[in-house]
Amino acid sequence: MSDMRAVAMDSASTSEPARRSDTSTTVHSYNVRICHWVNVVACAYLLWSGIHILLDFPELYWGNTGYRGYPAVFRLADWGLSWDDAGALGDRRWGRNYHFTFAWVFLINGLAYIGWNLYSTHFRARMMPARDELTVAHLRTEVRDHFRWRSRPHSSTGTYGTLQKTSYLILIFVFVPLMILTGIAQSPGFTAALPWLLDLFGGRQSARTLHTIGTVALVLFVAIHVLEIATAGFIAKVRSMITGKLRQQ
Amino acid sequence: MSKRISRRAWLTSVPALGGLLLTGCSRETFVPPRVRGGLIGAADVLTMSSNRLLLSGQPLAREFPRSEIADPFPTWNQTNPRNEEYQRHASEGFRNWRLPITGLVERPCELSLDEIRSLPARTQITAHVCEQGWSAIGEWTGAPLQRVLEAAGGVTPAARYVVIDTFDRWYESYDLFEVEHPQTILAYGLNGRDLPRGNGAPLRLRVERQCGYKNLKFLKSIQVVDSIAGFGRGTGGTNSDFGFHWFAGV
Repeated sequence: MSDMRAVAMDSASTSEPARRSDTSTTVHSYNVRICHWVNVVACAYLLWSGIHILLDFPELYWGNTGYRGYPAVFRLADWGLSWDDAGALGDRRWGRNYHFTFAWVFLINGLAYIGWNLYSTHFRARMMPARDELTVAHLRTEVRDHFRWRSRPHSSTGTYGTLQKTSYLILIFVFVPLMILTGIAQSPGFTAALPWLLDLFGGRQSARTLHTIGTVALVLFVAIHVLEIATAGFIAKVRSMITGKLRQQ
Repeated sequence: MSKRISRRAWLTSVPALGGLLLTGCSRETFVPPRVRGGLIGAADVLTMSSNRLLLSGQPLAREFPRSEIADPFPTWNQTNPRNEEYQRHASEGFRNWRLPITGLVERPCELSLDEIRSLPARTQITAHVCEQGWSAIGEWTGAPLQRVLEAAGGVTPAARYVVIDTFDRWYESYDLFEVEHPQTILAYGLNGRDLPRGNGAPLRLRVERQCGYKNLKFLKSIQVVDSIAGFGRGTGGTNSDFGFHWFAGV
């Protein structure tokens, strides 16, 4: 809420357009900002509904087969939450309805984002690491600065660092597609049409296990993402993802 | 049958319309019988129509080698309906059990278990995929539902859905695309033996491309209808009356 107020104050105080152009630069285009926040809502619902679905059957298996009593690779009961307690917390009717609804929101939003930015120059101009960014020396410097929490030149100009570019590209074009595929590899309808999904992940239960591991990895990614933003100035960064503008320091 | 066509119904028909043009199938192949409101309803239509587009050639669900069979096959939920009529049939070894096939068929009839066993049979080693998250592979033997309906003279041109009732007071409906699939069978055998009571004796439905809850156990009757409006709360099944998806392909 305080962010929203800050945004309102920001737009109220910039009644003179000349002053604004002096102090701020556009760092995020409309499409990036819209897709980002739709994605936040979709991912929040996907995570929460996914937890509900998992709690209703709190064991993971490997291969094609897995049921209560079959050797499991992960049991929530081993971590202190009994089957009955987990089942009482989870609501798979709510979970399934919202998981599949927001899976569509996530997919359509993601395709719009990719289509939009392939058409514009976003990916080419800002997401692809330049050749000189991929030298060992450059990467070494960047990694070293990163772990010393040294403020980076790109944090105020709105350009992305090489590590940032690489992790975003891997997330968008490798990780997210794998999450979608491990999701639909659990569906009896979609695997009847695309049986290679079962072979790709080693079975329906393996896909379910990988989908869960992927979720944990995604949560860690978001945690690091938010931590990075916090170190670069949380309010200013969040405001820039809403208004598109980043004030020059 | 009068239908008020809302703007939502129009909007949700758009993805289905594409499928309609591509395959020449009817609306109910792509859209659930009663579309829910809002974003969830729109997602239901997208899920069903995208799945049916991919399945328009009616490919078979994956069949597995014998080595993957779970024996004994796990049981879940109801394993012995307390229904008096069911208990009587079970105590008689289902000799006097009959399956009524009524509604929009040319010759409504009742079939005994032996008559269903005498129809051309199909055996398939497939995965039972529960929406809760578990799955197990079993060898199912039974008569294709299509053959059973043909034993009643086949469905009339007005037929749209097949409604199945069970002894544990469950009902579900299936569109004809699902009914016509070769793996949609009424199973009386599991893993080379008679279907055990815990798995749905005397007869259970196998719809291999949908989740476990669509694979009804303890079958009581079959009706062929043009609309599901008169059943339960009108959503097309006990599960969807409770708020689960009517189309359980995911």
